[in-house]
Amino acid sequence: MSDRARITRRGLFRGIGTAGLLAGCKPSERPPTTTEDGEQPPPAGSAGALGPGPSPLEFTLNGQRQVAEVAPHVTLLAALREQLRVTGPKVVCDRGACGACTVLVDGVARNSCMMLAHDVDGAAVTTVEGLSQGGKLSVLQEAFIRHDALQCGFCTSGMLMSCQALLGRTQLEREDVEAAIAGNLCRCGTYPNVVAAVLDAAKGSA
Amino acid sequence: MPDDSKVTLKVGFAEQLRDIEVQLPAGEPKPWDARAELKVVGKPHPRVEAPLKVSGAAKYTHDIVPQGALWAAVLRCPHACALVESIDVAPAKSQPGVAAALALVKPGERMIFAGQDVAAVAAKTAEQAEAALQAIAVQYKPEAFVIDTAAAMQDGAPLVHRGKVEERSTEGDEPGAGGSAGQRGNVRTSPSMKKGDAHKGLRMAKVSHEATYTTQVHTHSALETHSIVVQWDGPKQATLWCSTQGIFSVRDEFAEIFELKPTDVHVHTEFLGGGFGAKFGASAPGSRMGFIAGELARQAGAPVRLLLDRKEEHLCTGNRPDSRQQVKLGAGANGQLTAIHVVAHGTAGIGTGAGVGRNAFGVYSRCPNILVESHDVFTHAGPATAMRAPGHPQGAFALELALDELAKKLKRDPLDLRLAHDEHPVRRHQFELGRKQFGWDEGKKRAAALRDKQARVRRGFGVAGSIWGDFGRGKAVVATVSVMRDGSVEVKNGLQDIGGGITTVVAQVVAEVLQRPIEAVRVRLGDSELGPSVGSGGSVTTASVTPAVRAAAEAVKTQLTALAAKQLGRKPEEITWSEGQARAGSKSIAWAELCKKIEGEAIVATGTRPETYGAYPVKFMGGNSYQIAGVQFAEVSVDTWTGVVTVERVLAIHDCGKVMNPLTARSQVQGGVILGTSYALTEQRIMDRVRGVMLNPNLETYKIAGARDVPRAIDVVFTPVDTGANNTGAIGIGEPATIPTAAAIACAVHDALGVAVRDLPLTPDRVLAALGVVPARGAS
Repeated sequence: MSDRARITRRGLFRGIGTAGLLAGCKPSERPPTTTEDGEQPPPAGSAGALGPGPSPLEFTLNGQRQVAEVAPHVTLLAALREQLRVTGPKVVCDRGACGACTVLVDGVARNSCMMLAHDVDGAAVTTVEGLSQGGKLSVLQEAFIRHDALQCGFCTSGMLMSCQALLGRTQLEREDVEAAIAGNLCRCGTYPNVVAAVLDAAKGSA
Repeated sequence: MPDDSKVTLKVGFAEQLRDIEVQLPAGEPKPWDARAELKVVGKPHPRVEAPLKVSGAAKYTHDIVPQGALWAAVLRCPHACALVESIDVAPAKSQPGVAAALALVKPGERMIFAGQDVAAVAAKTAEQAEAALQAIAVQYKPEAFVIDTAAAMQDGAPLVHRGKVEERSTEGDEPGAGGSAGQRGNVRTSPSMKKGDAHKGLRMAKVSHEATYTTQVHTHSALETHSIVVQWDGPKQATLWCSTQGIFSVRDEFAEIFELKPTDVHVHTEFLGGGFGAKFGASAPGSRMGFIAGELARQAGAPVRLLLDRKEEHLCTGNRPDSRQQVKLGAGANGQLTAIHVVAHGTAGIGTGAGVGRNAFGVYSRCPNILVESHDVFTHAGPATAMRAPGHPQGAFALELALDELAKKLKRDPLDLRLAHDEHPVRRHQFELGRKQFGWDEGKKRAAALRDKQARVRRGFGVAGSIWGDFGRGKAVVATVSVMRDGSVEVKNGLQDIGGGITTVVAQVVAEVLQRPIEAVRVRLGDSELGPSVGSGGSVTTASVTPAVRAAAEAVKTQLTALAAKQLGRKPEEITWSEGQARAGSKSIAWAELCKKIEGEAIVATGTRPETYGAYPVKFMGGNSYQIAGVQFAEVSVDTWTGVVTVERVLAIHDCGKVMNPLTARSQVQGGVILGTSYALTEQRIMDRVRGVMLNPNLETYKIAGARDVPRAIDVVFTPVDTGANNTGAIGIGEPATIPTAAAIACAVHDALGVAVRDLPLTPDRVLAALGVVPARGAS
């Protein structure tokens, strides 16, 4: 009896073809085709397809233009961590259940493990590394420290990004913060301090 | 060296203070007692390493990528029990990117849980490694297995182990809590805890209560999975990065595996993403990670990263065992307990350690007859390992809920019943404090009124106690403090900060002694070359480390005092320190000036901690250390239509000796309460009885509490105690903080409903079943 007859997410992506996936995603922003010799032609009705090898990708990462060659099946999280060595976003569940990999994509908090790197082509991505300006911590980061909203720190990057996406709203209530971090798991139990920190930061930044 | 000296210490708690004499070993600074006036220690201070954690700059083992590092993946057994008939890893070696492949089992070997190591590969990328595993050909012959704790106890159940099982304990385990008193079938009996004659006590009882309570398997689920990165620096030298609670346990195990000198193994753990008891040694409890990464790196001639995924983390890195506890309580006509008898069975999977802690035996010690019998039941599942207060939350749950059920029969207030049997003066003080602060008496009346009205949403109040010991270790830590010529201060120790905040506390202790700002103290931890230290387990860290750090800082200060005396032309005993200046009469010398006079680079001193020398006011059973007290009160609301339990409030009153940093200590207690709430309400490992595999090895169906699942309010109160245990007065808090939570919540649910839900987690179906509105599902 043979082992490991299982379906992985990446395997599934490979199976149905990245081109198919991308065709279903963001047609207007699809990058130009870079198929190698002998690769299959782009599917009918689409402007092009990627893969299976690395394809060029351009986006803004923490305010800097970023150009990379990334294979189409690679998640944004994997591209950030393993290729670009931006390790603030963490791998905890790798399937959208914990929020440790949260980044902002055009200002919206997203699980970077649930996106393909090529999904952010042309977009602005902010990771926790991009929160401070010129080495100065942001109001939110300072509030996290003051309220001890972190213990081991492994959920902190994702927590901060979910909370950052929330800031700027007026009249922030406890429930708003709890809803914003409902998808961010913390095993040390920092939630009450995170809520206090965000409410405090919201006051400070208002 | 001066001889041992006797000093008088003011010890105790609240209003109950007294002087005791203790014998201090040579060179030991006079302990900070109730008279000590401290400026930095005991004050809230944000974590000194927090800027790194909020900016993504903190590097965890997951983030370490040595030059040319390969990615390792492990093939795991899909069967709960199977014989390996053949295994061929050769096809994996020719897969793209693969640099090494390794069989971890031999034909004829029996696999005994789903998730066990079978083979491993190292490849350039994670995907290549995963893909290569698929090329490994393994033939298994599945065999009969047993997953259920109850089924495994039956005669004729498939045997998990064919021989006698040796215990594997770590620094996460409670000292003195192990041992075996025999093994039969899948049942291994632990030595029982016994006082008086419980059987006789039960016969004498006028009122008795007997019921069975069950708890679930709980996985640690630290956010950073078990991970190790190995780089060989030569045939006999290696550098490791490991997500571990015990740097030296990693070093020593790795050295043993590869027959190296421990000093030739260099281990780094600058940051780790939680541990909760599961991260000791180079291996995980159910996976030989140290060997796998080390051997793959050796064969490939390149560094190897082995980072488990979430599924593996659930399957093979330990868990809190389940329990079935048959509790019998007896009371006399006066309502005093005549007997406590607990018979506990639990499964630690293929491992050991399913005891139920000291709660039943140690908390209500005015009961004259107590017998606690524990049994490990082997099942074909991943091994358990120490998890935050091993045994205690399950033991507290069964005992405290049973006490509440007895109190109901006795028509006695549950808090009164506890006070009548608890001898620990601090815990009694905490119970009384909580009664007032929590609004216990009024709350109970409100709960009763809602119950009488048969209201849809009920309220309930519960309380439970905690017991743990001050296991601070002597002679285990060597800390180094240096003051440089430029006036900077550095403290070094090979300790890891698991998230409890020890980095900050270490800085505070040095800042206190040397009268420097905390920011001026550089703390270097997380490296085995920075001096011996303890593992972060058993709530020993602060108690073990801070006294050694203080001793080193005091030794440096003595040298600085001598230097100041020389500069000021006075005798060292004439020098006093204030605000970082050395003074003698009208003369003084500022810190920076003084440091410039240091001959050579720096003044450097090391410090160690002697064995515990005081344990006031109560000793932990069978030892010379203090018994740590704690109580928690919980208020719940229960929707009797949906069965949903919401924890409204928890009041956690704890003692952790002298509180070093109220900010981080409070966070740690809060975290214990949240972990306990999650255990009480939602978390459980679900096994497929037919296939023998875990059905929810992830974080969406293995449900750990999120921000909206935690108590609406958590109030933390410390009742500081000066125990005279060591020179800083620190004792631990990590474990005690989570012991009574689930018990207090279960008691509150009992209060709300008038019937007990005797199985954890307290899921809606169980609440409805207890109310009799839906049938009970099969007991776990």
